[in-house]
Amino acid sequence: MAIKKIAFVVDKLPYKGESSRLALTHCIASQTVEIHLEEDENVEPVLAFVGNGVLNCLRNQNAEAYGVSTMESHIKNALLTDIKVLICEEDVKRLGIAEENLIMDAEDFGADMTSQIVPFSEIMAEIESSVHLMYF
Amino acid sequence: MSKLTIGCFSSLVGSMTLDFAVKLAEAARKKGHDVDMWLSGNGTMLAKKGQRSFKDYSSLEKTMTDLVAGGMTVVACEACAEARGYHKEDFIDSFGRKSMDWYLASCFGADRVLHIGGE
Amino acid sequence: MKLGVFVSEYGTTNDTLERLKADFLGIVLVQNGVYNAVVSENGQTSPVLGKGTKVYALSEDLLVRGFDPSKVDKRVTVVDYGGVVDLIFNNFEKLIWL
Repeated sequence: MAIKKIAFVVDKLPYKGESSRLALTHCIASQTVEIHLEEDENVEPVLAFVGNGVLNCLRNQNAEAYGVSTMESHIKNALLTDIKVLICEEDVKRLGIAEENLIMDAEDFGADMTSQIVPFSEIMAEIESSVHLMYF
Repeated sequence: MSKLTIGCFSSLVGSMTLDFAVKLAEAARKKGHDVDMWLSGNGTMLAKKGQRSFKDYSSLEKTMTDLVAGGMTVVACEACAEARGYHKEDFIDSFGRKSMDWYLASCFGADRVLHIGGE
Repeated sequence: MKLGVFVSEYGTTNDTLERLKADFLGIVLVQNGVYNAVVSENGQTSPVLGKGTKVYALSEDLLVRGFDPSKVDKRVTVVDYGGVVDLIFNNFEKLIWL
């Protein structure tokens, strides 16, 4: 079976621009990519938040005022579709974010998958083992 | 020959990034490579037909239609375009309109992917 | 891994570029990124030039901004669009646009 891993790396802040949201929607689109591929082919996405991009992963977002979905709901949808979600440990520490303030699971969406806080070196290893790379 | 997929999320006017993407695509085609181009976010602006050529504004419609006539594939994100008021009838005829999974499928078949984010 | 990083901004302090690791890290200066190939601030050349295994700059973007492609920092190799295509297929395996 031909599976190609694509790394989606997010280093932009949310809401002012649409970059990080488009990262999530493109990443989640991997769920339906099979319709364009042969039977034994598929794309395996991995989603990583680095730099200030880790601020996309804060809990308790409420974007009603903007009339858009929160990045929190997009990230939870990614977990619901079993996408591997990585959050850079060094950046979490640098920004003084406690783990309890990060989106570590999506149990309220019914997801089993959880986010992982990992050193940048692990994210680099994911980049290295991916066939293609998209920086958002 | 190899295949390059270029994803471009940057706007047509107000940024020169789409110009870069188109020139790169043109150079790749000249060397005999296959090229797919995915337009998403503000990049979908490039899919709008009837662009008028003014001095000092990017004008890429003619170049793009020539490239597509020569075998390049250009597809824009349907949702991103609709959100901006570019409907099917507004699209350059030879451009495709598809959902985001098309981009990932194109990447699946590509030797190289250059993903150019938006502003 | 052979990684090609397109730098399109001047004076990027992007910490991603700082942290990227690759066996071969090629930096391609395009758009305003080409200022990194020619401008010195207080006598110091751009730190971007020290990041990669090899640094390239797009000739057209240098000329547009008033720079002679033959007078860039000696660590920089000037390429045209065709040269960028060759780099993409022959020198890099994966690409990042910053």
